[in-house]
Amino acid sequence: MPGAAERGSELSEQIEAFAARLRRGGERPRSEDTARQTLSLLRKIVGNGRWSRAGELMDLIRTEGQRMTAAQPSETTVGNMVRRVLKVIREEYGRLHGRSEESDQQESLHKLLTSGGLSEDFRTPYPSLRANVIEAINEMLIELEGTTDNIAMQALEHIHSNEVIMTIGYSRTVEAFLKEAARKRKFQVIVAECAPFCQGHEMAVRLSKENIETTVMSDAAIFAVMSRVNKVIIGTKTILANGALIAVSGTHTLALAAKHHSTPLIVCAPMFKLSPQFPNEEDSFHKFVSPQEVLPFTEGEILAKINVHCPVFDYVPPELITLFISNIGGNAPSYIYRLMSELYHPDDYEL
Amino acid sequence: MSTDDLIETFRAQLRDDPDVSSAVAAIRALLGFLKQDRGETIQGLRNSLRDAIDTLSRVDSSVAVSSGGELFLRFISLTSLEYSDYSKCKEIMIERGEIFLAKVSLSRNKIAKLCHPFVRDGARILTHAYSRVVLRVLEAAVEAKKRFSVYVTESQPDGAGQKMAKALRKLNIPVTVILDAAVGYIMEKVDLVLVGAEGVVESGGIINKIGTNQIAVCAKAQNKPFYVVAESFKFVRLFPLNQQDVPDRFKYKADTLKTSQNLTEEHPWIDYTSPSLITLLFTDLGVLTPSAVSDELIKLYL
Repeated sequence: MPGAAERGSELSEQIEAFAARLRRGGERPRSEDTARQTLSLLRKIVGNGRWSRAGELMDLIRTEGQRMTAAQPSETTVGNMVRRVLKVIREEYGRLHGRSEESDQQESLHKLLTSGGLSEDFRTPYPSLRANVIEAINEMLIELEGTTDNIAMQALEHIHSNEVIMTIGYSRTVEAFLKEAARKRKFQVIVAECAPFCQGHEMAVRLSKENIETTVMSDAAIFAVMSRVNKVIIGTKTILANGALIAVSGTHTLALAAKHHSTPLIVCAPMFKLSPQFPNEEDSFHKFVSPQEVLPFTEGEILAKINVHCPVFDYVPPELITLFISNIGGNAPSYIYRLMSELYHPDDYEL
Repeated sequence: MSTDDLIETFRAQLRDDPDVSSAVAAIRALLGFLKQDRGETIQGLRNSLRDAIDTLSRVDSSVAVSSGGELFLRFISLTSLEYSDYSKCKEIMIERGEIFLAKVSLSRNKIAKLCHPFVRDGARILTHAYSRVVLRVLEAAVEAKKRFSVYVTESQPDGAGQKMAKALRKLNIPVTVILDAAVGYIMEKVDLVLVGAEGVVESGGIINKIGTNQIAVCAKAQNKPFYVVAESFKFVRLFPLNQQDVPDRFKYKADTLKTSQNLTEEHPWIDYTSPSLITLLFTDLGVLTPSAVSDELIKLYL
């Protein structure tokens, strides 16, 4: 059918364009936008793709997912959304297949002892599977819209009057969080500027527009000022499976300073940033950009003699973090494994 | 099946296949016992199985045999809840037992697949005594074309470290055997610590050859990751709060327990490492943080 083939190639083009945009990097994309675009693309694949059985659909999604994540490994939200959709497909298939709601999909000692055979093979075709999966993806998109608001709603429980809060760089989630608290409470914010991109400046401007008393300081002064800070509230790029963070460069310093002064470190991040990867191959998370910001090209003579690096992200180990505030509530870093098992299926950890 | 036959089956397995874990050998022996059991009731079966497990613990007092036995008993209870007819129940038990043993034999490979990406090129690994699971993991890392070197502690009183070093040399991995006392000295050179476990307790801590706790404490002090590799049948329902809480029957060898007059004069063979010192546990159920271990045990026993 020419219609189907046309749609197929148009879809392929859209995926290619998405992957190319990711690869190019360029301006800092909002994680929520990346997640939304990924989900829309996946919904198109489910709707228009050529598949008849759940197994085929999962293979299709997996292939496309691998293509998209390979384009920019540091954008973990893409992989997370692909895994969420795979889990949704498994659930919908299970529901149609008539299996009970128990979470017998996970490996466990209990399952090892009581199961009597091989696992699912996803071969039975169900005509309503397509519609069910698309509906589930739509629900996920709606959930995505509300994440920042859900996090901001919890602000009043954590921020009290006359507190000094420290943050680093520019996180839209933290901005919403602080703005919500500022409606009812009076507090001060110290923003570390987060060189070399100095996004902290933009954060400070936005916060001061809401009449929050804001101070900007350089990253070197973090330790010196930490003794006067009551809480540190930061955003992050990714949450890893062991409860660690991949956050903007400079966050590890902030976390260490906070630990030294026993200041609580609160991370505001929505659940779609939770990735089931562990920090083993550090290379896969690192993203380096042009060192123009660190040492401009005008310093031509020196450039020939030295190596200049400009990493974008930092690794923060789980011991330094006190609390994760996400759209589903507050959790300790040691509880992350449980949240992960609810969002993703173990077979999908490796795409 | 008589007691002697049971002990003989158990010993024969360990003799014929030195690679098999003692827990798996115990479970296999118990399955054989189950097949030959002439009883007519579940209660009778459970009682005779309890006696059989006691017999096996008297032969080999390690934690692994105890956890394997406990798991088998739990397996019987769970299966018997589903079927009321005894003979059908027994058939299902035997069938599931075989499937369980088949799955369990794959567990080491699963763990190796999960763990070897954590061994980076050029890494220096410290390990303790002789662990077959660690050996399998390092074998997988070699197959993945990683280059690394290993330090093994000698692990007195039985010098198990020498056995480990020999096995590693066969895989062409550069090995150095160090004194147990040299762990603090070598820790700054090491990138990660990788040990096996004889038992994994409810809190997420481990019971392993004596000396493991020391290594864990040194690793924590120098900020080195401490990884544990263990199969899931080693999860045991103990919750020790300190070294004293570990039962005596695990600390000493079976012969010592039988013959010794005063246990305080004997040297213990195992120690307990608390979960705060462990970074990650690699099991066939996945990569777990120590807090996830109790979740797994609860799912099984509740």
